[in-house]
Amino acid sequence: MNAPDPRTAGLLVIGKDVQRTDAIPKVTGAALYVADIQMPGMLHGAVLRSPHPNARIVSIDLTAARAMPGVKSVITGEDTAHKKWGAFRPDLYPLAIGRVRYVGDEVAAVAAISPEIARAAVDKIVVKYEVLPAVLSMDQAMAPNAPLVHDDCAGNIAHEFNFERGEVDAGFKASDCIVEGTWESQRQWHTSLETIGCVAQFSDGRYTLWCNSQTPYLARGRYSTALGIPESQMRVIQTEVGGGFGGKSGDDNCSVICALLARKTGKPVKLIHTREEEFLASHPRMPMRYRVKLGFSKAGKVLAKEIKMWADNGAYTGKSQAILGAATVRHDALYKYPNARAHSRLVYTNLVPTGAFRGFGNPSADWAVEQAWDLAAEKLGIDVADLLHMNAVVPGDVSPHNHKITSCELKQCIDKAVELIDWKAKHKNKHPNHGLGMGCSLHVNGRRSFGDWDGSSAIVRINDDGRATIITGEGEIGQGTLTVLRQIAAEELGLPFEDVDITRPDTDVHPYALGALASRITYVAGNAVKRAAGEASKQLMAAAAEQFKLPAEDLTIINGQIGPKAGPESAYKPVAVITRANIYKRGGQPIIGVGNFDNPSDFPDHSRYGNESGSYNFAAQCVEVDVDPGTGMVTLDEISAVVDCGTVLHPAMAQGQVHGGMVQGIGFAMTEYFDLWNGQPTDPQLKDYPLPGAANLPKMHVAFADSYEPSGPFGAKGLGEIGLDAIPAAIANAIADAVGVRIYNLPITSEKIHRALHPELYANEKVAPAVEPKGGMWSRLSVGKPSGPRPFDAEFVVAKSVDDAVAMMAAGDTALVSGGMSHALRRERTGYPQAKRLVSLARVPELLAMGINAQGVLSIGSAVNQQRIFDDAKVKQRWQAIHDALEAVGHTRLRRMITVGGSIGPLIAGFDLPIALLALNARVTVAGTAGRRTLALTEAFEKRFAKDEMVVSVEADTLPAHTGTAFHKYMLRGELEIPTVNVAAKVTLDAAGNCNAARVVVGCMGWKPIVLDLAQLAGKSLSEQAIRDAVQQVRTLAQPVSDVRGSAAYKREMAVEWAARIVVKAWQRAQ
Amino acid sequence: MLIKFTLNGDPVEAHLNTGDRLLADVLREDFQLTGAKLGCNIGACGICTVIVNGEPTPACLQLAAMCNGADIRTVEGLATPEGLHPIQQAFVKQTALQCGICIPGHVMQACSLLEKNPNPSEEEIRASVDSVYCRCTGYHRIFEAYKEAIAAGQRVGRKS
Repeated sequence: MNAPDPRTAGLLVIGKDVQRTDAIPKVTGAALYVADIQMPGMLHGAVLRSPHPNARIVSIDLTAARAMPGVKSVITGEDTAHKKWGAFRPDLYPLAIGRVRYVGDEVAAVAAISPEIARAAVDKIVVKYEVLPAVLSMDQAMAPNAPLVHDDCAGNIAHEFNFERGEVDAGFKASDCIVEGTWESQRQWHTSLETIGCVAQFSDGRYTLWCNSQTPYLARGRYSTALGIPESQMRVIQTEVGGGFGGKSGDDNCSVICALLARKTGKPVKLIHTREEEFLASHPRMPMRYRVKLGFSKAGKVLAKEIKMWADNGAYTGKSQAILGAATVRHDALYKYPNARAHSRLVYTNLVPTGAFRGFGNPSADWAVEQAWDLAAEKLGIDVADLLHMNAVVPGDVSPHNHKITSCELKQCIDKAVELIDWKAKHKNKHPNHGLGMGCSLHVNGRRSFGDWDGSSAIVRINDDGRATIITGEGEIGQGTLTVLRQIAAEELGLPFEDVDITRPDTDVHPYALGALASRITYVAGNAVKRAAGEASKQLMAAAAEQFKLPAEDLTIINGQIGPKAGPESAYKPVAVITRANIYKRGGQPIIGVGNFDNPSDFPDHSRYGNESGSYNFAAQCVEVDVDPGTGMVTLDEISAVVDCGTVLHPAMAQGQVHGGMVQGIGFAMTEYFDLWNGQPTDPQLKDYPLPGAANLPKMHVAFADSYEPSGPFGAKGLGEIGLDAIPAAIANAIADAVGVRIYNLPITSEKIHRALHPELYANEKVAPAVEPKGGMWSRLSVGKPSGPRPFDAEFVVAKSVDDAVAMMAAGDTALVSGGMSHALRRERTGYPQAKRLVSLARVPELLAMGINAQGVLSIGSAVNQQRIFDDAKVKQRWQAIHDALEAVGHTRLRRMITVGGSIGPLIAGFDLPIALLALNARVTVAGTAGRRTLALTEAFEKRFAKDEMVVSVEADTLPAHTGTAFHKYMLRGELEIPTVNVAAKVTLDAAGNCNAARVVVGCMGWKPIVLDLAQLAGKSLSEQAIRDAVQQVRTLAQPVSDVRGSAAYKREMAVEWAARIVVKAWQRAQ
Repeated sequence: MLIKFTLNGDPVEAHLNTGDRLLADVLREDFQLTGAKLGCNIGACGICTVIVNGEPTPACLQLAAMCNGADIRTVEGLATPEGLHPIQQAFVKQTALQCGICIPGHVMQACSLLEKNPNPSEEEIRASVDSVYCRCTGYHRIFEAYKEAIAAGQRVGRKS
């Protein structure tokens, strides 16, 4: 249609960027999240989890845990109702009974007077396991005679769809062009910055739960089943929700365990997932293996589609069979498929249970199908934008599964997305390794899943002061519920936005609601609120009619004032006058409107046939990339996204939904993954799971199609998920366009691209068998980790001098603190201080000194933090490699915490500052009981420091004329601490411009850094080729190990590549 | 041990039962200032950022014992009875928030940058926004809030 719909003309509140309802509490810190709740007498919970992917529980001994002072209750599965629960297929106990099925499975729980005592008591529980063979992949699970994850589920197939609509074989037979392929996707964790949590109270036979659930009513239903109580015996009150994305939609055991502990102790109990628990035991996105085959006519008309799909359920099902259903059928309503056949299976494995995550199966399906369309476009010789446009659904279309397309501006989305990124011109002017790709997606606006009702019920009350209150149980999770529902009610009532209030969900009070899932709030809850407001408005006008003694039709309401339509302003009365008069009279009553809305959709049958939503939202997205063929690194240049969500109710929030979805899509595609060992992430912390940050984002263009959905409130549809779905496929399509490499397995990593571009470099690769990570797993489930209550409290002493500190160290049981970061991290890992005495070096003047002496020697004390060095203009000018290295740390916040002593003292070959200093031939001065000594940093790495020695300072000489230095930290995705490789170089030229000396230092390639003086370059005129030749020896010296940062073979290649690039950079700087 | 410091302008003291307690815990537990949120406990996410002696600091990594004598400011100290701090106003006006759990960290980070440097370069703004994660917004509107705060031309001084 390409013009705003006339039905939205004259709206006063809809379409305006009104102030978010929750903005002020959120910017002032007043917003109350579940972890912020304190109650009198409140206890703290902790959970013991399985360290094994599959094991029989032989015995559990709680004696020691129960005996710990401060422990109030220790419970196991025996303390539960022995009831399995789950959204569709009940297979999960609140606490394990007899068997654990994944690393992280809940075994026992403790309530104690502090979180620390609760955690320590958990460590005192002794569980004897009989470890059983586990199925750690879908292939293992589906192998003949594979161990069963659940004894009652033969073949480990938890659910299956298998159907054909139309004549698929005939469709393929008639096709001129057939494409097929198999794509795989991986787990993605929601990683809401607030973890799952609950505060529970049990009183007078009823439970009250304050929890950060997206879906308070559905959560109440499931949790009460798990506890074996009637629903009405539980009250769920939604706290502020610090991010949901599907991860807080009531499939986890946290709240159930918290409730059990509250009942056992009779006290309020708080139980909050640690970040580690969130990674081990929340329900990440379901990985899929997706085989797709498409048939087309020569002209590009799609004729047939067939999919075969396997999805990794993990150990328990939650909502996964519905996700399987969405991934099986949804895409078929995006293009005009006449025939479709599907066979999809949900496979149990002994891995973390998977579940709902923004997109609900569609991103993994789109990852496959949208790439298949790209392959088809290439094969047909048609621009993919034209091919998608030609086949896009339009209003009135019906999918093979009876999805009925109402409003749909997909073609407009494609046109606008292509225009925003300047697709045609960029295609014509492509430079090497530059590419464009696109993808489309659709989503439901609510979905009939939990029985034959996808509705919402709302109350709008007009108070005697003339303000209105919306009473709804739908709830805010950050996406803007509170604000858009107020907009809808205000518009319908004719009140100013500011005069409409809204309540927060409390299942004791509010009418029934399903909550924030399936992009349903705007469309389903919005309609219910609009109807309730309409009903209230009718009552209000009737009351006004009585008071004005005029027919209601002759009255109108403008901005909170009611009066005769043609009357003068002076004839108008405020709403408050009408409502007060309506209450304070004999037989008076308040004005209360009730609104119900049920999605005009069908409950799909067992084969998922049925129109699952009353309307659908659509998007088209284009991506532009540049690929660095030397490393495989992808730069996302620009992304355009155009969404059809009907009328845009609040442009800024709508834009925010799309931006947020796109960035999460980038994370899904490129940065978010773990290495697994024995079924668990090797380091389940944010360190190894970097979220996309603000630094490396592409330019994002977001726009909305002109669209109007007749069944939506003021023409609106949902848009919470659509921004994410097609992003990974669009990126992969752009990469294929740029360098001809088609990625079939998520995540898209630089290594995969590099391998595809340079197979010869990997021809002789010897792949070492995977080994358990050195030093064991980092999680608290690791065998052999320190455990038990903290053995001591730490004394904190401020050292007055270096001698003072050395003497205290010599006395034993002492750890030095300069920035304090390593101690804080250790405390997080273990719960203990590092030593009985922590000695602060932060006030020793000598260690805080930094300066350049008359000879030009730079000296930096060990307690100097990196930010101070980073801010020093002279260091930046004269010792650029140091500045580069500190810049690589990323931001002020961390540079302030990291001192010179902290980064040099441990002599770790992956830290950045020592690599830079080694290139500069720096020295280090240490003090010990035997006195002081100064040694080259290279020597320190060879011989290490003595146990009683501490770093006093580092020194770097002034650099000769015509010297350049440089440093680079090569990270695949912005991990903290150790990168894939880090490299520093120093090049000095003679008066003639020839090389006098060149050194390169490479970190992360073994326990010691590689320090290489490139003697063969001395006296030569430098060239990039000569430098490349000279650094080839790095390949044989490097001894990298495979880990989440890359395989050993890739790291070795990157060591060589970056050694060359950084020596070249140093050479350029020397000139 | 006993430490004394200034908290949002007030002189306060805290008793630490052990020398390794973290500033985040002291603020949240001892002073009930829950504006600084805990997201990762390893300095990765930045949502616990507070201002210590004028510098943005991850409260989850900062040993409380090292804050003896320090000047500490949290998000709760920004607004005055007269109204929101200009940076808070900018976040509100630009709809630069969704779930809000990271916003106190972003607000304090922005505050520490703009107090020192009222006209930062784009590069400095990017590094500042990058130092605190946000899982909801995709950062676009947070950049808009920075621009708004800078453009408002308000010298961002601490309350006197």
